[in-house]
Amino acid sequence: MAMGPLITAAVVLAGLNTLLLLPLVGVWIRNYSTFGTGLVGGLVLFAVAMLAENAMAIYFFFSMASFYSGDPGVQKVVLILRGLQFVAIAALSYTTLR
Amino acid sequence: MEKALWYLLTATRGGANRARIIDALTDRPKNANELADELDVGYKTVRHHMEQLEDHDIVESGDESYAKLYFLTDRFDTYRDTFEDIVEQMDT
Repeated sequence: MAMGPLITAAVVLAGLNTLLLLPLVGVWIRNYSTFGTGLVGGLVLFAVAMLAENAMAIYFFFSMASFYSGDPGVQKVVLILRGLQFVAIAALSYTTLR
Repeated sequence: MEKALWYLLTATRGGANRARIIDALTDRPKNANELADELDVGYKTVRHHMEQLEDHDIVESGDESYAKLYFLTDRFDTYRDTFEDIVEQMDT
C-alpha cells in the first residue's frame, strides 16, 4: 500500500517536533541540575514523553507503514494533532530559548 | 508574577544568568556594562536579558541614553521572597 500524503505530512511534523524537543530537553535537564525544582523536573518528564511519542511515530511509519492507520479519516486526525503539537512545541521553544 | 519568575529564572536557557543579574542589582542600580563585567557575561547577552526582565516588569531603567542604570521595580520587591526561594535552590 502506498504511503498517503496525509500520513507522510504527519511524519514530517513528527520529525520537526523531535528536532525542536531535543534542545528543550537539553536546557531543562541542565536547569534541573542547577535548580532541582519541581517545575523544571515536570518539564523534563513532559518533553521526554513527547520526544518518545514522536520518535515512536516515525519508527512505526518506516517499519510498518502498511499497517499504520490506512484509514484517511484517521490520517487526517493524526495530521491535525501533529500540527497542533508542532505549534505548541514551537511556541514553547521560542519562550524557553530566548 | 510569581509563576512568571519561576518560569523565567528556572526553566529558560538564560535563567541562571538572569537570577545572577537580579542578585547583582539588589546591592545598588547598575548599568549593563557593570553587570557584564561583574558577571563575566557578554554585553549583548546582558542587554538581551535586561529586555526580558523589563518586559516582565522585574527591572526598570533610568532615562539616560548612555550607560543607563537598571533598577529593580517596586513590584519585584513584593515578590522578593519568591526570588529568594529560587536562588536558594540554586546554591544547594
